[in-house]
Amino acid sequence: MDKKTRDTADRRDFLKLAGLGSLAGGATLVTGTAEAAAPSSEAGNGYRETDHVKKVYEIARF
Amino acid sequence: MSQSTSVEPAIAPEDSDRALLYGFVGRLLQAAPDAADLTVLSKISSDPEDTSPIGNALRSLTALAEEVTSEDVLREYHDLFIGVGRGELVPFGSYYLTGFLNEKPLADLRVSMSNLGIERAEGVNEPEDHIAALLQMMEGLIQGDFGHEVPLSLCEQRSFFNDHLAKWAPHFFKDLAAQDTSRFYAAVGVLGQAVIDVETEAFEMIG
Repeated sequence: MDKKTRDTADRRDFLKLAGLGSLAGGATLVTGTAEAAAPSSEAGNGYRETDHVKKVYEIARF
Repeated sequence: MSQSTSVEPAIAPEDSDRALLYGFVGRLLQAAPDAADLTVLSKISSDPEDTSPIGNALRSLTALAEEVTSEDVLREYHDLFIGVGRGELVPFGSYYLTGFLNEKPLADLRVSMSNLGIERAEGVNEPEDHIAALLQMMEGLIQGDFGHEVPLSLCEQRSFFNDHLAKWAPHFFKDLAAQDTSRFYAAVGVLGQAVIDVETEAFEMIG
């Protein structure tokens, strides 16, 4: 295994152990909420506007 | 709607998990979750045997999501980040790095954004170096959302992370975790800290 491959594997293992997949079970639920909020969202990017955050920090996608 | 939810199959599973976490924390910091969001949050199940910092932080957060009301969280969000005149915390990179808004760190970020094809959405008035915007940029860069053919390489992701998040996000999340205005947002702070710590360490592994 060359160094680059080994580094990638190490990093992957590390991220797995770090609990990065912890949210995976909730992933669909979470994004589902964003979709459910769509009617009130601006420009259909899934980021909600609120009174307090006057304009959302959505990042335009080209 | 689909841009923020779909993940190209070309992305490695751990990278889509990273994007998910960045987006998740970013959205909680962009605005207070409403009642429906809290219900969803409270139902996120995680492996009880996952005692990693991220696993633990998520469990605390989902438990709190069940206890709090959306009215409480909205008020706490306001007290923390908006306040009368100014909130308790000022979640902008420039402020954390220089003590002032709109200083050089913001100018540097704008250069990076321009190079990467990212721009502030129409109608957005706040500076781009808000923590939520930066987390959402990481999410988008990992997923290749900004009109790039492919996700940004790990080395380029690391550059963006080091230039715009690493110097101040740990301090911000530490402050957020330590404040006693909001238990819910303290838990968000702990999760954010864990994500930044893991990312910092993981980026060191790519050599």
